[in-house]
Amino acid sequence: MGQSLDFEFIHEKKCNRAVLLFHGMTGSPFEMKKMGKALFDADFDVFCYCLPGHGTSPINIKTVRWEDWYSDSTFHYRELTQKYEEVYLGGLCMGAVLALAIAAEYREVRGIVSLSTTLFLDGWTIPWYNFFMPIGVHTILRYYYSFPEREPYGLKNETLRKKIAALQKRNTEALDNYPMSCIYELLKFSKWTQKNIFKVKAPILLMHAKEDDLTSPKSAEFVYKNIGSSIRKYIRLENSYHLVVMDNERDFVFEKSIEFLNSLSAYGPKETGLKNFDDMFEESVGV
Amino acid sequence: MAVDFSQIVKIAQTLPVSLISIILSNVLLIFGFLLGKLVLYKAEDAVKFFAYFSVAICILFVWYFVSILWFSVSNLFAGNAVYSAIFPIFLFLPFIIGHFASYEKVHFYTNIQILTLIISLLLALSFI
Repeated sequence: MGQSLDFEFIHEKKCNRAVLLFHGMTGSPFEMKKMGKALFDADFDVFCYCLPGHGTSPINIKTVRWEDWYSDSTFHYRELTQKYEEVYLGGLCMGAVLALAIAAEYREVRGIVSLSTTLFLDGWTIPWYNFFMPIGVHTILRYYYSFPEREPYGLKNETLRKKIAALQKRNTEALDNYPMSCIYELLKFSKWTQKNIFKVKAPILLMHAKEDDLTSPKSAEFVYKNIGSSIRKYIRLENSYHLVVMDNERDFVFEKSIEFLNSLSAYGPKETGLKNFDDMFEESVGV
Repeated sequence: MAVDFSQIVKIAQTLPVSLISIILSNVLLIFGFLLGKLVLYKAEDAVKFFAYFSVAICILFVWYFVSILWFSVSNLFAGNAVYSAIFPIFLFLPFIIGHFASYEKVHFYTNIQILTLIISLLLALSFI
């Protein structure tokens, strides 16, 4: 636990507030890099670690359980609470589920930025044979099968998509497929989080693309409706797919995240107030 | 030893369709798992092919489950309570095995899965 990997990132100038970011399933901290930089520029210390089973051999991801992701993340969270007065959580995809799960257990979480929350795998790129999933995930087959990662790779921006496709071919930190065993763990984790979502009292900002290719807005809407937080905001993005931190509206996502976290922080600019975010729903303008 | 296919066809004509269906799906599942374990699993880079292969196995599982239910229900109505009670056990076994399986012991659990399919096939053949 807490192992140091080359592609984790830590932006630290030892201020009073920190954001712990979590990357998505089969991803790596690389995908959160731009968001981390934007938050750091807004005077947050930023931490993002590689989740267990990720970033090494593709076989490793088949050996981990959701409890491993959860315990590793809570370990990092607890570590940060020793050093910072305010600790915020942010995550993409499964990382968002992790942020919610931690906030369900630790009431002192100051705020959550939940991006492309993945509680249900029901996006439009999920293969037609998805209805066989219950048989696939609950039998021995889950160790034999992987969903092949394919276009659009979670990106609406075609230029970026081409770059990612080239990176996939060179096989960087991210995997080019979703092992079924990993999906099985994610679904178990999602179920656990759904059951405990009412325990989350921390203020939350949800951002989800209307055309998310992996998980439809149903997941974000579920969180928005069932979460125990009194301060909650849901922004539906009009011009992105799943990887909202890299896609067309990434700057809008960063801007809204910073604005939201600053509104919660005692150390942020004073012009924003909590009341601005109380139980709000809005749609992005399609940047 | 020459196989007398006409004899096999004659026997098959006397059997209930649900039982033939169990036998066929069972044989194909055993063959599929053996193929996956011994040949295909080694080609880990063929993700797309593997995806379709796994879907094929899922379809076979659905066929197998439906056949078992069909056989059990028809026997229940025919008053053969013992026949109808035995096979449904095999409906749950793939899920029980899946529950306990882990990547580290995937070959062991695959063997267990194949073994249960062989037992189920032998049981089906015993009804002939």
